[in-house]
Amino acid sequence: MIMSAIKKRFGLVLFIAAYLFAVFWVFTQSNPPNFDGVTTIRIAHWQIELGPPDGIDAVIKRYEELNPNVRVKQVMVPGQVYRQWMRANFAGDNAPDIVEYGAWLDGLADLPVRYFQPITEELLEANPYNEGTELEGVPWLKTFHDELLEQRLNSPEPGQYFAVTMSRGSTRLFCNRELLKKVTGSTELPEDFEGMRGLFKQTADYAKLHGNTLMPFAGSRDNALWMMSFYMGGVMNSLSQKLDTDGFLGLYARQTQWKYLNGDWSYSHPQVKAAFSLLAEISKQMRPGYMSFLRDEAYRQFFRGDALFIYTGTWDATSIIRLADFPVSVLRSPQPTQSDPLVGRYMLGHFADGYNMTGFGFYLNKRSPNRDQAVDFMRFMTSYEGAKLFTEKSGWVPSIRTVPIAPEIANYVSPEDGVGYAGPNLSLGGGTRSIFSSNFHHLIGPKGSVDKLAKVLDEVMPPAAREALQVEQRAANWAVLLQDTRIVALGSLLETDSRNPKLILRRERLEAAQNLSESRSLLLRRQLEIIADKGIR
Amino acid sequence: MPRIFKFLSCAVLCLGWVGLTDAKDENGEPTLDQVWAFATTSQPIEARNILDDLEGLEPRVETLAEVVLALARPPISKGDWKDIEPVLANLSEEDDEIAARALYLQARMYQVHMPTPDYVRAEELYREIAQRWPGSHWAQLGYVKLGLVKLYALAEPTDSEVRFAEVQVLLDQITEPTLHRDLQLQIGRAGMFHERPLDEVLPHLIAADAVPGMLGITPEELKIQIGELSFRAGHLEQSKLYFEEFLAEYPSNIRRFNVRQQLKKVLAALGETEASP
Repeated sequence: MIMSAIKKRFGLVLFIAAYLFAVFWVFTQSNPPNFDGVTTIRIAHWQIELGPPDGIDAVIKRYEELNPNVRVKQVMVPGQVYRQWMRANFAGDNAPDIVEYGAWLDGLADLPVRYFQPITEELLEANPYNEGTELEGVPWLKTFHDELLEQRLNSPEPGQYFAVTMSRGSTRLFCNRELLKKVTGSTELPEDFEGMRGLFKQTADYAKLHGNTLMPFAGSRDNALWMMSFYMGGVMNSLSQKLDTDGFLGLYARQTQWKYLNGDWSYSHPQVKAAFSLLAEISKQMRPGYMSFLRDEAYRQFFRGDALFIYTGTWDATSIIRLADFPVSVLRSPQPTQSDPLVGRYMLGHFADGYNMTGFGFYLNKRSPNRDQAVDFMRFMTSYEGAKLFTEKSGWVPSIRTVPIAPEIANYVSPEDGVGYAGPNLSLGGGTRSIFSSNFHHLIGPKGSVDKLAKVLDEVMPPAAREALQVEQRAANWAVLLQDTRIVALGSLLETDSRNPKLILRRERLEAAQNLSESRSLLLRRQLEIIADKGIR
Repeated sequence: MPRIFKFLSCAVLCLGWVGLTDAKDENGEPTLDQVWAFATTSQPIEARNILDDLEGLEPRVETLAEVVLALARPPISKGDWKDIEPVLANLSEEDDEIAARALYLQARMYQVHMPTPDYVRAEELYREIAQRWPGSHWAQLGYVKLGLVKLYALAEPTDSEVRFAEVQVLLDQITEPTLHRDLQLQIGRAGMFHERPLDEVLPHLIAADAVPGMLGITPEELKIQIGELSFRAGHLEQSKLYFEEFLAEYPSNIRRFNVRQQLKKVLAALGETEASP
């Protein structure tokens, strides 16, 4: 009886104690209980192909050896669901400490300003993990091959750096060398696209002779769109040059959208139609139905020997080379020249097939409870040692200066030998990306034609382009709103420390950043008003 | 009272004590500068926690800090507007630095924080800052903001010459070099949007380029833009100078090849010019 009462009371006390501890923890801490003194940080990305996860694992392993009190978990999320995953996790305040993000991801333009923490000040200091290397004492920012050009181009807050990058690359033709020799008698590619037309015919003849279905290109929706976007961009360069009234020698998506909505160009422009004719020609070199295939199907076609080439980015190189049971060459794509019978009169010359711009960008979650550890890991993964481990295990080109590039991947980096104005293409940026693919059948279907596709795109693109411009405007405006507090707070700090050079510089930089964002926001707002006045819905 | 409630009361008191001690700064008493420091790094919750712990603050300072932190979580609602705007108006009635900051923020509320901006009211407030604290940082920053509105946001005046003349008046009153540069850059850029003559636009861009400290991609793009617009305007030596400066200073820009192609045209044109009698 007494024992029973004691047991009941003990249980109640234990329950209350546990409840109180839980309440205490919820109100005073934002982390799971840390009983062993080990902090766990999470890093998320969508590069789940062969290579990068191994590279990051190697970096993590070494980092944990150097920092036994920190555990790093790699979270791999498939690309198909990454956008939704990011949106849901940031909205639910459950996002990892470090996340991969790209400015080109549709519909996420507002994310960086809302959820990512700038790391500009850290980047201006030397990376301590570079001690004892050639990069010792060099500001972290300067250790990247391109000094984080992508951030300079696309930072949601001009002048602020939000990410560090791990790699760089380009798009290439991956070639089944043995099969190419069987078909053409050579392992060399033609010099230009006109030569490729000859190769297309040789391939068709070979397939007919051998009674198989060999095609020049392995086809899937993604691979086809990458290849078409590349060729279309090349043809569009001279139109983009004309549209570049501001003289930047290039166009941002927001400028291309505005120029389109303002009537400066359309999909019915003769040059655009010529590019569509080229795409129709390329389309015939893939197995019918490719727009309904996923990337895996294209790889299967290539690995089975049903296609000579697969067009993709060097991000797929490790997977392709490891999985193919034949020698694979990684080649630059032959391009139309100024004497090309179809598009030659529009060609500006050789066009860019890759930039010396680093990517695979990792951002710091603004709400990370482990900010210091997360930044420290970002430092290590982009240090000389971290980058060397990553490139050795992933087969990806490193983003960090002085880190050796293995000879077999050296040609993943394009030399500076091609024109690139960006501008009109299959997509106008933002959420317009899916418009082209969902209407592509108007070009290649049984009753398809260039004129039909151009007409349909000019009917459906304006609302999407306007929406994309609105998203840009909102993102710029959002950056401005957040900066008012910071500017007045800096002014308040300066009131008591008016000669502090660091504070003065910070204020100058912050105000300059806001002035840039604000100008962009106001310009886009005005452009949207002009479009509305024109009655574009 | 059952014993269990006594136990609970003690436990809750202990919990409160633990919570309080945890909230205190490890290095000593919280300070107002910590509030501002957190606010400068977009950490309004942390700033708010410290502000709540501060004691003996001058009421106007505390009120301003509260309003500044309230603006850190945009967009503000109609209810927020009623809580913030009158407070700022009230703070701005005095004649001190707090009043200047409050009036500046009030102008910003009308210009950027309202769902539909009231540019007329914002202009009145920016001009009031300049009138009450002439030459102050907030007055000059206000002129930059007013200039941006006039350059881009307003449909009127339709005569772009009048528009730019109005902004030039504002520019002439800004003495802080970086703020002067920021507005001058936008006068040049807006000049392209409003299709002003290249020879009117270029001096603004060149003047902006001369002041260091521009951010992000802007300084690189500005060199390209001056080089290209100079080429189009026929100022070949100037074009060559800026294109060459760009190539020397920015080894990683993705537009380098485009610039090199344009520079070839400039050099060819210079050759022709120089060769011709």
